[in-house]
Order: sequence, then C-alpha cells, then structure tokens
Amino acid sequence: MAVVRSRTKEVVGQNVLKVDGLPLATGQPKYTMDMDLPGALIGKILYSPHAHAEILAIDTSEAERVPGVVCILHHGNVPRVPYTTAGQGWPEPSPYDTVLFDKKVRYVGDRVAAVAAETEEAALEALRKIRVEYKILPAVFSIDEALAPGAPVIHDEPDAQGIYDPQRNIAAAVDIVIGDLDRGFAESDVVVEETCEIPYSQHCALEPHAVWAYFDEDGRLVIRTSTQVPFHVRRIVSRVLGIPMARIRVVKPRIGGGFGSKQEVILEPVAAALALRTGRPVKMVLTREEVLVSSRTQHPYRVRVKLGARRDGVLHAIEMEALANTGAYGTHAGTVLYNVGSKSLPLYNKARHVRFHGKAVYTNLPIAGAYRGYGATQGFFALEVAMDELAEKLGLDPLELRLKNHIREGETSPIFERLGEGREGKAQIVRSCKLAEALRIGAERIGWQEKRRTPRREGSWAYGVGLACAMQGSGITGIDMAAATILMNEDGSFRLLVGATDLGTGSDTVLAQIAAEALGVPVEKIVVYSSDTDFTPFDKGAYASSTTYVSGNAVLRAAEEVKRQILAVASEILEEPVEELVLAQEKVVSLRTGKAVSLEEIGLRAMYVANQQHIAATASFACPESPPPFAAFFCEVAVDTETGVVKVERFVVAADCGQPIHPKLAEGQLEGAVAQGIGMALYEEMLFSERGSCVNRSFFDYRIPTALDLPEIETILVPSEEPTGPFGAKSIAEIGINGPLPAISNAIYHAVGVRLTRAPFTPERVLAALRAKERR
Amino acid sequence: MRLRGVKRYHWARDVDEALSLLSAYQGKGAILAGGVDLARSPRTDIEGLIDITGTELSYLRADSAGLRIGATTTLSAILDHPQAREYGGGVLIQTLRTVAYPALRNMATLGGAVVSAHPWADIPTLLVALGAEVTYQSPEGEKRLPLENLYQTDFRRVFREGVLVEVRLPPWEGAFAFAKITRNAGDIALLNVCAGLGLREGRIAWARVAVGARPARGERLTWLEAGLVGEPPTERLWEQVAQEVRARLEVGEDRRASAGWRREVAGVLVRRALAQAAGKAAL
Amino acid sequence: MKVYFELNGKAQYVDVEPGESLLSLLRRLGMKSVKEGCGTGECGTCTVLLEGKPVRSCLTFAPKVQGKRVTTLEGLGTLEDPHPLQRAFVEAGAVQCGYCTPGMILTAYALLETNPEPTPYEVREYLVGNLCRCTGYRKIVDAVLLAAEWKREGRWR
Repeated sequence: MAVVRSRTKEVVGQNVLKVDGLPLATGQPKYTMDMDLPGALIGKILYSPHAHAEILAIDTSEAERVPGVVCILHHGNVPRVPYTTAGQGWPEPSPYDTVLFDKKVRYVGDRVAAVAAETEEAALEALRKIRVEYKILPAVFSIDEALAPGAPVIHDEPDAQGIYDPQRNIAAAVDIVIGDLDRGFAESDVVVEETCEIPYSQHCALEPHAVWAYFDEDGRLVIRTSTQVPFHVRRIVSRVLGIPMARIRVVKPRIGGGFGSKQEVILEPVAAALALRTGRPVKMVLTREEVLVSSRTQHPYRVRVKLGARRDGVLHAIEMEALANTGAYGTHAGTVLYNVGSKSLPLYNKARHVRFHGKAVYTNLPIAGAYRGYGATQGFFALEVAMDELAEKLGLDPLELRLKNHIREGETSPIFERLGEGREGKAQIVRSCKLAEALRIGAERIGWQEKRRTPRREGSWAYGVGLACAMQGSGITGIDMAAATILMNEDGSFRLLVGATDLGTGSDTVLAQIAAEALGVPVEKIVVYSSDTDFTPFDKGAYASSTTYVSGNAVLRAAEEVKRQILAVASEILEEPVEELVLAQEKVVSLRTGKAVSLEEIGLRAMYVANQQHIAATASFACPESPPPFAAFFCEVAVDTETGVVKVERFVVAADCGQPIHPKLAEGQLEGAVAQGIGMALYEEMLFSERGSCVNRSFFDYRIPTALDLPEIETILVPSEEPTGPFGAKSIAEIGINGPLPAISNAIYHAVGVRLTRAPFTPERVLAALRAKERR
Repeated sequence: MRLRGVKRYHWARDVDEALSLLSAYQGKGAILAGGVDLARSPRTDIEGLIDITGTELSYLRADSAGLRIGATTTLSAILDHPQAREYGGGVLIQTLRTVAYPALRNMATLGGAVVSAHPWADIPTLLVALGAEVTYQSPEGEKRLPLENLYQTDFRRVFREGVLVEVRLPPWEGAFAFAKITRNAGDIALLNVCAGLGLREGRIAWARVAVGARPARGERLTWLEAGLVGEPPTERLWEQVAQEVRARLEVGEDRRASAGWRREVAGVLVRRALAQAAGKAAL
Repeated sequence: MKVYFELNGKAQYVDVEPGESLLSLLRRLGMKSVKEGCGTGECGTCTVLLEGKPVRSCLTFAPKVQGKRVTTLEGLGTLEDPHPLQRAFVEAGAVQCGYCTPGMILTAYALLETNPEPTPYEVREYLVGNLCRCTGYRKIVDAVLLAAEWKREGRWR
C-alpha cells in the first residue's frame, strides 16, 4: 500500500546520480572561466617582494604607456575602507585589518597594485613597469619572534578594528577555565604533556581562484566567481567599493574545489573595482604560484596538551594551549583559534578541570585563513597524540582509553557553552553519537587487537597501527542561517532555489534528495538552482560543515510548507479532509477511499483553474545547535628504519554522520578529507627563505598526494539518528581531515617507538627521531 | 606555458638545418624536442623554436655494441620497446617507469633529459652509471664522447650551439639496479642511485655506482667501484660499502633534504642497489 | 602561423602563435573541458590525447599538433550520448568538483586502450600524474575498473 511505502525513505539514503555529475563528466563549460565575454580586460596583480615595507612612492607613468593598459589601481587612487577578507556572517568576528591596497606591505606576496589591460601580455608588462619605492622594515616570521618585546608592529594602522592587541601583534586571544586546573592535575594519578606542530600548508583546490566582473544590460555589476560564500561576497564588495547591494549580483557557477580557500573574498573587490573604473568586463584568474603564495593557507599551529587522569583511565584535567601563526592578516584568526578547543575538547567530557587558552599572532608570512577542519585538525593532532601517550603510561589499550572517556548520547560538555565562534558558544546536548560503535567496527576492520599485540617487522621495515578519534560540528550555533525556496511547476515538478554553495561536495544533490523525499517525487523532478544572489534566497555559504544540516533543514521546512499547500489543493479536488491524505509517489492518495490525484492535476488546477496560486514557499533555518559528527580513525603504517620513509599501508575511517542522505557522497567527503590529512602528515609544507619568501611555489615542489601514495581508504558509515537533522542527518565534510595526523603519528610510535609531533613526518624527521632514540 | 617572447617556430627537416637555424639566431634560438623544460622556462629571450622531432631521431636499436637511442625518442617509447626491457638487467624500465608520470613520459625525450641535466634528475644518474656515450652535431662537426666526460665540461654551452643526436648504451655482462627516495610518487628524487656489477666465479668483476640528487647531479663513485672488484658479493661487503659511502660521499643540502640525511641514506641506497644488481647478475 | 590538425575527428586549419600552448589553442576553439590547474604540467587537468596518448596541453607548443590527431573530452561523448567511461565516473561517485575529471577520464581511456584488464595498482600507477584533491582517488579507481568491466563486456565504443 502506498501509505506504508511513503513512510520508508525512497530518495534519502539512496545513491542517486549526482545532479551535476554527467555535465561535469562530459566537460560542459560550467566553471567561472569557461565563459567568454567580448571586450574583456585581463586583471593582474602586482605583489610585494618584501616581507615588511612601507610604500614611499608608486610611479605608474611608464606602465600606463604600455599599449593595451587601461587602468592601474593602487593605494593612491582607491577608497580606503578597512574590512576582512573572511567570508563570514555579519558582523564578522575577524578583525578589519585589510584594505583594498595599502601604503604598507606585510608579507612577500602582499598586493600592491592591480592592472587591467587588453591582453595578459600587456598586463604583465605593465606590472614590470610599475616603479615602487619601498622603505624596508624589520620583519618577523615566527610566533616567538612576533611576540618578543620590541618586535616590529605589523598592524600599526590607526583605522584597523577588532584586533586583540595590535601593539603586541596579537590578532586574537582566548582563555577559559572550567573547574580548578591545578587541583585537577594534583588529583590526577598520571599526567602527560605533548606539544604538536602543524606548518604552513595549502588547500590546493585544483581550480585556482577566478572571477569575472562585468556590467549587465541594466548597468548592474555582475560578479561571477569561484566562491564558497556568494552572499558574503556581495555584502563585502558592496561595503568596500561603496556600491549599493541592490546594484550587485553575485553568481557562483560550478566550483573546482574550495576547502576553505574560497571562503575568502580575495579577488572579487579588485576585479569589481577594475570593472567599475573601466566600465569593461574584467577577468582575473590566479596562477598556481599566486594561489600558493598570495591566496590563503592553513593556520600553522603549535598546540600543547596536558592531560591528567585517574588510575582507572578516566580523564580528570585537560589543559590545551594553542598558538597560531595567522600571517600578515587576521582573517579567521580568532574563530579558528576558538575552534581548536571548541571542536576537540568536548569529545572528552569526563574531565572536570579544563583550561583552554591561546593566541593567534601576526607575522610577515602568507595569510592563514579558513581551511577544512578549521582548527579542529590542529587541536586533535595534539590531543590524540597525548591520549596515546596517556594510554601507554596507564598501561591501557588506546582503544579502551577512548571508550572510557568519550562523550555519549544525552551528555553535554561545558565547552559547548564557553567556546563558540570567536566568542561564547551555546549549551547543547549531544543527541546522537555512535562513536563507540565506530571504534569497535574500525578496530575489527583493521585487526586492531592482533596487530597491537604483535608488531610486524620485515627487513628494515617496521609496521605499526595507530588510532585517533575526532568530532566536528554541523554549522555554527546561533550564527548560521540558510534559506530555501521551492516552487511547483504545473506538471508536478519543482524548482528548488538555494543559496547553498555546492563547491564539488554534491550539496545540490543532497538538497534535491531532501526536497524530493519530502515531496514524494524522484530527484529528477527537482530542478536545483543554487547560489545566485539575484535568484536564490540567502545562505551563509559552504563552510563549517553546515550545508546538509543547516541548508538541508531549510529545504525540508520549505518542502513541508509546499506539501501543506499541495494537500490543501488535493483536499479540494478529492473533497476529503487533509488529515486523510498522503503525498507519495507523485500523487496524493486518500487513506479512506484510495482515490488519488496526481501532482500534475494539482499543479494545473492551482495554476490555471480554481483558487489560483503558485504553490511555493520559502523557509529559513537558523542553527540552534550544532550536532557533532564523530569518527574513529585507524591506520597501519610501514616505517623504513634505515631511511625514515613512512608508508600508509591501510587507513580505516568509521564515521557517524547521522543518517547519510547520499552514502556515496558522504564516503567521498571522508575519503577526500582523509587523503588531504595524509598529505599533511607526510609531506605538505610551505617552506620559506630567510627573507620570508615561499620557496616551493608550485606543485613541482609543493607535493600533494597522488593516486599511488594512498591506500584504498576504507570508509565505514556508522549511522545514528540525529533528531534535529533533516531525515536524521549531520555533517561529514570536515571531520575526516582531523584523524590522519594523530593516527599516523601514533602508528609510527607503535612501529618504531618514536613520537612524531611535528608535521609533516618526512623521512628526514623520522630518521632523526630514530637516531635520537638510539642515542638515548 | 611560462616561456614568453617566442616569435617563430621552425620544423627542422634535418640536423644540419637545425644547426644552421640555431646559429642564425645567435643565441636567441632553442632546440625543441619534447618541450617540457622549455615550456616551463621563465626565459623571455628565446625568439625562435627549432623543432627537431621531424628529423628521424626517434629510434631505439640494439646490436652487439649495445643500445642506440635517438635523441628525440620519448621515455614512453623506450619503456614500450621490447629491446629496452632486458638491457642492464631491466634497469631502463626500472628507472624510467618512475620518472614523472605517463603523460610527461609521452612528451619528454631522452635527449631532453641529457641536455637539461637537472641535478635532481634520475636519467643523468642512470646514464652516467651505464657509461653512456652521446653523439652531437656542432658547428665544428659531429662528436661522440662519454656523457660523464661531457658533463665535466661546459656542456650547457655545447648544447646551446649544437644538437644532441644519439645516446649509446654499451653492453654489460652483469646487471644494474636503480634506487631513489622521493617525497611522494611522481616527485623528483631527494637522492637517487644507480649501481651495477658483473660477477665472475663468484666475485665481482666490475662495478659501477653513481649517486645523484645529492643535491648535485649524478656522478660516479670511482673510489668505491675500484675496491669492489675481486670481492665476493656478500651482505658483509654491502654493509662495508654503506659505511664507506657514509664516510666519504660528498653531499649537500637544499630545501628538500639535509646533508646529514643524504649522507646516511646514500649508504643505504647504494647498498640496496648493489645487492639488487648482484641478485640479478647472479641469475 | 597556420596549423592543420584533427580535433575530435574534425579537420581544423587555424592560426596559432608560435609560442602558444595547446591548452590555450584548444580553449580558444571552445574546448572548455581542457582546464588549467597549474600551468606547469604537474596537475593533469589540461591532459588531452595526442595521437591517442595523454599529453599535457599546457606544456605542448600548439604548432606541435601539425598533422596530428587531438582528442579532448568533448570528443569522447556528449551530454546526450556520454561515453561509457563518463557514465562510469558518475555512477562510481568519482566526480566531486569535476575539475580533474576531464584529464582523469582521458588518461583512463588511454590506459584501457592498451591495458583492458588493469589491476587497481596499474590504474593508480597510470593516473599518478593526474591530481585530485576531492576524492582520495578511491572512487576514481573504482570508476576505471567499472568501465574496464564494461569494456570487456563489449559495452564500449
């Protein structure tokens, strides 16, 4: 009977074809740069060759004479409006420490001027001919140098806002205490302490940052851009350039990956300013070198964790101190800092005494920004390595230690309330958690007990297994909001308009599934149109693992309202009360009589026949809580004791993301995040000259994992039912990146008895650690 | 495409035409084969490209004098060639199948690798160990000499004025093996080693060992080779070799690895390559 | 200078700059599936087939295609009539952001031409020069193995 079937999920939980899959697999021109416009200019940026310098003079006269050069912008001819490039909700928690072009440069790669020209050659020639006179200032490159008394002040401009302590180069700081830490450690039977470091590394989305800015036939500014945050782009460009928001349209076409790098408003205001000044379409696309040096990076961190536990293995006290190098500007500085603690410490909620403190420090190095994991990766690296050490000291299986301490369904942690997004958070209860199952399933899959007992050795290769746990959130509590509009066509199909930003994750598909499930139609009947500020309702954008949960809930609400309207029309047609009607399989059926009316009949009647109305609804969802997904990571490594080479032989991740809406896409998120984490663990690191210039500025020298470097990542979804999620779903996008660093470090320890606490674990570092151990 | 400023593209019909074009450009012309290094070059002074891939220099022939490989033969063509498979105990295949990745190997030529002679590259280390001879045409005529000797001279000037036409690999009674360490697959080497030996009556009859990417370009360790002759190929010997390499090898540091790591690991790689070569030679 | 070549089965006689890249030429000709991800040959998003073999179009001087056969993803299949490999990539979940997909599919196509029964390791070895930051490669390998199966069953062209 239709009624019964309507209760089981028909679309949600199915691996439907990704809605943009075939267009992408057949190479349709869907990305920002796949469009050509007649009369377009090419925009290029001049970058600083100095790490810290004052611009005494800029002479563009020679550059202006290059044939084809149309416009040159620099600090002398653009308005000075302090803002942040962080694509965050208003008011942004990041400091307003950036202007379009400044009189001062703060790192090698900082922007000095921009040129628009008829051809790329002309633009590049003009860049070479801009004469800039610099007064070189002393520069600092490390956290310790920047904090030292007498260090040069990087942000001495008087109009910056929201910097925690500009005189001491501190962009943001935090210090929260729960309980009494000293007492906590005094009462602990076992105390361990570890410090772990993550260097500068990069997102490496394969599509570089790219933008078109042009005027449409009504004279409105259109910005077609590779962004995760179209609505924040519109708001920030409007403010920085003084253009009313109503005169700006931001369109996000398909995006070639983001991972946080496109949660930054980098090129858009520059391209828009050039278009505004010239009245011509302007296209800007970064080279890979520019992406590596002058876009954004992960936040390098040094995180110290001290754990105190009772003899039985229950944690009693935790201290976490996090020091970030946020680079030349403070975009996401404070929020990433808070997240180091807020996304990691609630996992072990048994500890009564907790302190989390830290600073994000300016230096004259590239700008750190949003990066998948967003601080949680840095926090879990230190926390989970320390947990491994604690297990050893207690003589406990690391698996057992996790099972004893991790948060359970129905429990809370005071951290949720004390630490939010650069400010206080909101109390919440964990309503779904299958971490214990994930740990057990993952352990069984990798053969944990057996492999822990008998470490394998083959010639110079030593094998070991390690584990780590992690959590994340699903959106930002009290800040994130998303809206969705659903409109019914008269043939019984629907248009789903969402501001949500699919950057390759498959969120358009997931949101279509949610709408289809609620409306009793197959996914093919949902036409998704996303991320166009003229045509779709607001959405905060794609970040903080929010789309499935926050945007998905908005879609579900809109669909429920549309369903209500459909049932009302059906009730007129069938002459039955709404309570007797069920919507399923593209029709409305009466429970009492079995009579049915198709969605097409309903659509035609509503649109053309009686009680005319467009069946449609818009709904919003603001995130009252942020249910964490949980994951257990297990890996087996081989360490060559003669060369220090580490190979990841197996990697198992078991994750609870609630009910997966699209299991294959959920797996894909985990696999991709784990791969990125393995890259961070083994070789990804931006290196700098002593003048602060990035020296490995290409994929030739900044290595990311290839198909041959990775094992077949084994993903296991361990579903829970999140009562606040759309059809029980939570997030999955980021959590996977939090596990590889500690899991691999712990596996290396199991294999050869040395703790690698500084990423990446290069052959050089591993061999040095082995030799140091032999000398001891 | 980083190379900018190119004004003309020539298809040379033969090597002589390539040579005369090259001299006509007076330093502003460049010989182009696979093009992978030229395309990535930041130079702006090259006005003319002289493509020599139409000059019938793509071939691989085997005879009693070993292998003769035309300069524009791609790395893929070598890998696919049945006569390359057995050479030197399979060392050509072993080495080339981990140089870069398939699409690049479809473009890159053996001659290009010889001419570019990147210090981190695997092919110079391989060819020096194998005792390769190169033939090139210069304004003064055709010359043939061991690559090892050429690399001791101002070879970059030689290749600015001349055209490399062939690489000859001598026949060896014995086997070679290649070893390297990279950060990840497809990466350039942090250190690479090619070692070979021949056995006669259970003792080493000859040995050749080259170490490259240290970070300087691959060169032979003649001081090591001499001491191996007459010794039985045992684990003990390899251990001594590793220690000797550690003690005597000249290494340096760059951003990819320190001198200390290179010194220690070079010993390990030389030991492993020699042991592997000995295993193959004994077959 | 003028260059005559075959692009996806159709003859082309076009003007090119002597120092132009094949990537630039192909995108000018509307082949937008050919992507630029790094411009230095390492990422693989600009991969096309030259005489059936994968090459990097960003490092190939455009005049080099004179008299030769070039295949881009547009030449493999269309939205209405996709090639089995393209369908396999979608079915296996191998397409996330899609930016690496054209180069991946063309490289995989070349692999299956010479090795119709590759092992998972051989697939990884052949795709080693095509970077993907989204998938961790597992589903890409799955897609190629699925397509190989289809090819052996004769569901191919």
